[in-house]
Amino acid sequence: MTVNQRNTLQREIERILPTVVKPGRYVGGELNQVVKPWDSVKTHIALVFPDIYDLGQSNLGLAILYDILNQRSDVAAERSFAPWVDMEAALREAGIPLFSLESQRPLSEFEILGVSLPYETLYTNFLNILDLAGIPLFNDDRSDNQPLILAGGQAVYNPEPVASFVDAFVIGEGEEAIQDVVDVHQAWQTSGRSRQDLLIRLARIPGIYVPSLYAVDYHPDGTINNVTTTHPAAQLPVDKRIMAELPPPLTRFLVPNIEIVQERVSVEIMRGCTRGCRFCHAGMVNRPIRERPVKQVLEALQEGLNQTGYEEVSLLSLSSSDYSHIIPLIEGLQCLLTERQVNITLPSLRIESFSEELMDVLQDLSPGGGFTLAPEAGSERLRDSINKPLSDAEFMDTVRSIFEHGWKSIKLYFMIGHPQETFEDVRAIAELCRAALQEGRRFIGGRAKIHAGISTFIPKPHTPFQWSTFDETQVIEEKLSLLRDALRGAKVKMTWNDPQASLLEAWLSRGDRRMSAVIHQAWKNGARFDAWGDQFQIEPWQRAFQQVGLDPEFYSHRERDLNETLPWDHINAGVKKALLQRDYQWSQMGKVRPDCRQQCYSCGILNTFSELRLAKPTGGWKCP
Amino acid sequence: MNQQEQITRVRVQYTKGHSLRFTGHLDLQRLWERLLRRSGLPVRYSQGYHPRARLNLASALPLGFVSDKELLDFWMNEPRSVDEIQARLADSAPPGLLIKAVDLVPLQEDSLQSQMHASCFKVSFYQAQDRDALIQKINDLLMQDKLIRTRRKKTYDLRPLILDLAATPQPGEDIQISMKLLAEPGATGRPDEVLDALGFDVSDYLVRRTELILVKS
Repeated sequence: MTVNQRNTLQREIERILPTVVKPGRYVGGELNQVVKPWDSVKTHIALVFPDIYDLGQSNLGLAILYDILNQRSDVAAERSFAPWVDMEAALREAGIPLFSLESQRPLSEFEILGVSLPYETLYTNFLNILDLAGIPLFNDDRSDNQPLILAGGQAVYNPEPVASFVDAFVIGEGEEAIQDVVDVHQAWQTSGRSRQDLLIRLARIPGIYVPSLYAVDYHPDGTINNVTTTHPAAQLPVDKRIMAELPPPLTRFLVPNIEIVQERVSVEIMRGCTRGCRFCHAGMVNRPIRERPVKQVLEALQEGLNQTGYEEVSLLSLSSSDYSHIIPLIEGLQCLLTERQVNITLPSLRIESFSEELMDVLQDLSPGGGFTLAPEAGSERLRDSINKPLSDAEFMDTVRSIFEHGWKSIKLYFMIGHPQETFEDVRAIAELCRAALQEGRRFIGGRAKIHAGISTFIPKPHTPFQWSTFDETQVIEEKLSLLRDALRGAKVKMTWNDPQASLLEAWLSRGDRRMSAVIHQAWKNGARFDAWGDQFQIEPWQRAFQQVGLDPEFYSHRERDLNETLPWDHINAGVKKALLQRDYQWSQMGKVRPDCRQQCYSCGILNTFSELRLAKPTGGWKCP
Repeated sequence: MNQQEQITRVRVQYTKGHSLRFTGHLDLQRLWERLLRRSGLPVRYSQGYHPRARLNLASALPLGFVSDKELLDFWMNEPRSVDEIQARLADSAPPGLLIKAVDLVPLQEDSLQSQMHASCFKVSFYQAQDRDALIQKINDLLMQDKLIRTRRKKTYDLRPLILDLAATPQPGEDIQISMKLLAEPGATGRPDEVLDALGFDVSDYLVRRTELILVKS
């Protein structure tokens, strides 16, 4: 093909590609990509991940939806990612609208944009993408023939900060909900009715939240008086959508033609977590726990390797060592390892659910690799308060066992800024690290390494700490400097998060609807790629709060009253507010709530989903 | 038969299409390793903790170019028929990579890189070029004895690397440039350097490699 045989937009895109960094991000064409003739389907969906291809392409949620949707003969699902800053400039200068990778069609030609929002720091990129696509940013400015903007992902369990931009949210698991959305959209298209009619139809689907059909009334102090529906079709509350049984895992992964993060076959071995760590958003919103059978996981890994030729597999879950059949699974993996020469990663192992037996089988898998543990807090007292109980002695036993089994380095994750945290608790982090290093040296001398990864606690919606305040920036700085001093000379490597980046997350994660104006203004002030250390700036955000007349501290640094109506109270993630309230009180008393696999505390999941569970007794639920 | 006698060296001729234009040399090697894994052929691997397929790519294609003809050698532990190899590779190839030919070559032959002699390219332009002006530019360039240029802080003479350079009117289409450049170890001409010397910018054109010429052929 010469340049003349391609269509005008493709030629325009082609011309700017040699002028930008890593142009392979923008061309698609990977193995297992699906391209359908444009006119052969009724519905075109652009799946949008608002960060660059190099990150977004490895997102498992996006890959699953791509596969599910493209299995339908009446749907074409294509992909689009955020252009990097140089490409954004080149697109704007050449007047090229943002396009999909498969057909290189402008996003505005799709019926639906399915936007993935797994974390809050993507919000400005999301707006930038709409703008680059020439789609109005605010949902009430869109006309009948403009794409439906659908959003889902872990961040939208509090949808309110982006409620002014999104037409409809998928709350919870998207595998089935997306099918319902497509069906409803197709029926609406045939009807020839208005956009408002589509929104009303969508609002009736379980798990779909259409923000324009709800009104929020505020008290003079800025807290919420109440949330009401403005149309009978709107549900109140909106129960999240879950799968009674996890579907067979994805095996048809796209294989990128350029290097990206995490090039591997990833299989989720279970969804949900029963531990109930009080800071943990994922642990609260992804209940109930559902396990996949060992056989299904192994077959999927095998098939995934056949389809991709990858050299690495990864088993995903929130707490892999809690998987009921972890030993048989790893033993099965060993056969795969020797046959195929692949590497295996197994994140999220919990210290207290670690057996010697598990250590023995893992040893054979990772020769010379590092080991990661997450005690999250330095002292026993604080670990009880955050409901991640672990005695110092248990911790040291595990550390000893890891070094005994031949590992040379351990990475320890901690959080600072927990509610109830004192400087004494922070000092205990350093002491724990030093003790772990000393233990390592007893076995392997100077080769033993400890790496402390320090993040900052951010109060998240739907968790027992949702009422809590975010630590003062100055106090966080003091705690970090205390740690740096305490670890100086100890040969413990320490890395930490930028406290300002955590502050932004603290503002956004518990925002209400008024936050949309702040996000919009911050984007206008130039905020982009807020998740990138080299791009993020706090100043455009601070200015945005001033410009729209909102107090950022109201969102970050305010202890909420236990009876306050929270901006996300009309979204039911499955765990009852009463249980969260009790847990918050227990945390202040240092009282722990043991793992609920043994005993049900009636968190609310079974109340909401008991019928679903009964309908699928094979679902692998681990509720007692 | 001992194992040594079973080792087979396979030469593959393939294309690099639009979707692979921006897949660089190292990424292309990884792409081929995965392609070979998927093929299920008895590919020969290096020893050690991280075994890698033994591959040999003839000549790196600059980023942004497409190609009708690329060459690669790989090795197998057991023989297979050429037809079977070709079919399995074709089944495992990503879009834009067509397997055009498969041959078995003697084990003792030199590496592909050291057999390289020259590459041929065709250049098409996004905006139609004036035929006479282009021919004049090319003639002016070829008239010079030396074309001293600097690339990556090294100074070199581009002129002796140009074996052929001509404007070729395509029937019913815009004019193209065809060129043949030396591609020997340590003396490889780049089409983008020639085009730059002719006064073109990277966003003006698309380069296609049409032929790889080995020393012996």
